[in-house]
Amino acid sequence: MGAYIVRRIAQGLLVLLLVSFICFVIFQYMGDPAWALAGRYATPKQLEMVRKKLGLDKPFYIQYLIFLKNALRGNFGMSFVSRLPAMQVILERLPATFELALMAMLIAIVCGVGLGVLVSVSPHSPASRLIMAGSLIGISIPTFLTGILLIMIFAVELRWLPPFGRGEVVRIFGNWRSGLLTWDGFRHLILPALTLSSYQLAVLLRLTRAGMMEVLGEEYIKAAWAKGLPQRAVLFKHALRNALIPVVTMIGLQFGELIAFSIVTETVFQWPGMGNLLLSAIFESDQPVIVSYITFVSLVILSLNLLVDILYVFINPKIRYV
Amino acid sequence: MFVFNRLKATEEPKEVRMRRIGFLILVFGLFVGLSAGAQTIDKVVIGLAAPPRTMDPHGSDADSNLSIMSNIFEGLARRDVNGTLLPALAVSWERVDPYTWRFYLRKGVKFHNGNDFTWEDVAFTFQRLKDPGVSEFLATGNLVESVTPVDGDPWVVDVKTTRPVAWFVQNMHQIFIMDKESTEARSQGEVASHPIGTGPYKFVEWIRGDHLTLVANEDYWGGPPPVKKVVFKEIVDSFTRLAAIETGTVDIIQDIPLELFDRAKANPNLLIVTRPARRGMFLGMKQTPDYPMHDVRVRKAIYMAINVQELIDKVMFGHASPAAQIADPPTVGYNPEIKRLPYDPEAAKRLLAEAGYPDGFSVTLKAPTDRYPRDEETAEAIAKQLAKIGIKVTVDAKPKAIYFPEVTHHDVELYYLGWFDGAYSAMRTFTKLVHSYDEERGFGLFNAGDISDKLLDYLIEQSDTIVDPDLYVEWSQMTNRIAFEWKVVYIPLFYLEDSYAVYKPSGIKFTPRPDTWMTIVDVIQP
Repeated sequence: MGAYIVRRIAQGLLVLLLVSFICFVIFQYMGDPAWALAGRYATPKQLEMVRKKLGLDKPFYIQYLIFLKNALRGNFGMSFVSRLPAMQVILERLPATFELALMAMLIAIVCGVGLGVLVSVSPHSPASRLIMAGSLIGISIPTFLTGILLIMIFAVELRWLPPFGRGEVVRIFGNWRSGLLTWDGFRHLILPALTLSSYQLAVLLRLTRAGMMEVLGEEYIKAAWAKGLPQRAVLFKHALRNALIPVVTMIGLQFGELIAFSIVTETVFQWPGMGNLLLSAIFESDQPVIVSYITFVSLVILSLNLLVDILYVFINPKIRYV
Repeated sequence: MFVFNRLKATEEPKEVRMRRIGFLILVFGLFVGLSAGAQTIDKVVIGLAAPPRTMDPHGSDADSNLSIMSNIFEGLARRDVNGTLLPALAVSWERVDPYTWRFYLRKGVKFHNGNDFTWEDVAFTFQRLKDPGVSEFLATGNLVESVTPVDGDPWVVDVKTTRPVAWFVQNMHQIFIMDKESTEARSQGEVASHPIGTGPYKFVEWIRGDHLTLVANEDYWGGPPPVKKVVFKEIVDSFTRLAAIETGTVDIIQDIPLELFDRAKANPNLLIVTRPARRGMFLGMKQTPDYPMHDVRVRKAIYMAINVQELIDKVMFGHASPAAQIADPPTVGYNPEIKRLPYDPEAAKRLLAEAGYPDGFSVTLKAPTDRYPRDEETAEAIAKQLAKIGIKVTVDAKPKAIYFPEVTHHDVELYYLGWFDGAYSAMRTFTKLVHSYDEERGFGLFNAGDISDKLLDYLIEQSDTIVDPDLYVEWSQMTNRIAFEWKVVYIPLFYLEDSYAVYKPSGIKFTPRPDTWMTIVDVIQP
């Protein structure tokens, strides 16, 4: 187990190296940030001065090596645009994204698993067919469209919920501002969380249903029914526990994805999170912020994957890593 | 009787007097109440299309950033809603000689931290503009040679420039003065997130990606501003921005996208405010001898073959206005006498034949796909119009990150570009767009068509040495007219349109500025 974890961490570091290198290759084709920073009326000499100041005058592999050297010391460079440390700019957006992803995950788990169990009990009933068709919609409608539809219905027409933003936040500790603790903040969270969860909800629903259908055919479930156990005990205590193993894995992997792929949702709802920041950083060729974001998100996903793999051993003792 | 009379005589006036005083108090109270109600607004919420990038007033030369900064900071001069230059931290100025601008500074102004505004802050500001680590105004900073008090009077300073610059003061509304003491004492991270200015609004908080809050500076030298609190909300997505104002979550939004314009207009709660944008769109042409566009007749033929009204109606859905020059009306050097060449494809064909191209020629038109509203569509429409006089145009539209470097490397034949001058100077624009390329002086960097006209070069260079302001205006207007009517160095197309929506139930009166700045004391009337 120990050797396995060490091997996985080594692989993860390799992935991080590769990902950041690809970023630097892409920067070569993203346009010259010096133009924006020197101002339109700058002379070529002043442009050169800016490039030198930012280290953009060096060949890209040298730029990459300098980045690596600094990154190892925890220095991810200064944002070209805000002229603040790039990692600080990203991390101050983390609470917003984290809370959004957490809420979306909760919605996806409760609704996805709940509906999945419901559908598996009577797979051919009209209600089940309707739910399954609905889940197809959840998978196939693009996120921005879901977001726009929800805003149109619940904010503009019905006026039940606010159309954008994070609402009132309170500082919990350090710079962590939470919107979960105020009624206003909670109301602001509902629509974006629903939007972000729509895809994951559908995936979890289908996964739970498939797992449940398989497990419900097993001998020990028949035995449970035969013993005369109540339906709730059979479904949730005996069947769901075993059907959940692949679902739990999926939840772990998806949480990383929710954090990484909240870009569209955050943009539609002007949610002040990391995804929103990435989009404006790309728009303004803010290279240090882009590479820091990609590195950070890769790290989150890699760690979650590893964590899921380790947890797997505890959930399913049949699995052994060598 | 007498006593009674006396009593009566004294009592009556007393009663009357009391009534009179009571009435006066009532009137006074009403007056105060009414005027207070009419003259102050508790809070205004504005939905921004382009969020601020930094709270460092020199850290971004984008109008979206200067827009916000203009509430917290002030320059030596300022501009009103008509784009007219007015005194601000300088009460007046004069150009003493081609190299020297003299500013008479305003006395008794305080920064938000209580520090006095002095000539040293002015000197510090110009010095800071030169630092590429903090400033996007390198060009302005490097023009300044020295800032010194005149005859030991700290309220009169001479700014000496490295070369004669006639438009120097025209730029002073966007060079914001910073407090020397607190800027030097704090880290750049602090300076870029907690601004300290002299302006009508003080900084409260900025949650990046979310909102920026400002409060009225009650000690402002120009008097307390009528709007007491301003919240700028960032709403980058255009659909969401419109949804925000439809629900009354914000009072004003900037920039209604063309696709949603009709929906916004149909909403009875929204007041749509538009005005011509400062940015003039135009067509550039390669004018070296190996290209047909070297011949002015060919340039005129292209000009006359373009039906600009059709472009405005069909491509821009009416949200643009025809231009006969690149400069917009508030710009110094804008010449109202310049007229567009008429749309006349027959005459254009004759001109082409005269120039030796009776069957037309082939040419590539480059345009960005993500920079201006409907940029690619405009290029496609122009290509179709030029095909009618036999010019075969291939449209090469690409993302701005690829397009703009090609323009600055002068790697173009025909190209679609927009421009406006932040210093409201047509001649400054010409140094970049019309003057022949000169790397050392930074002239002609955006002259991608390699225009090289000795007369225009001379007129542009000489304009900077003209000290008499009236002569400078006339000189600029003449140069502008020669360039567009006689030499036809560019083909002007149209000015874009700025649009805003105001939530009617908020009762706010809004007047847009030409530069799109949300300078609250100017744009919102109580």
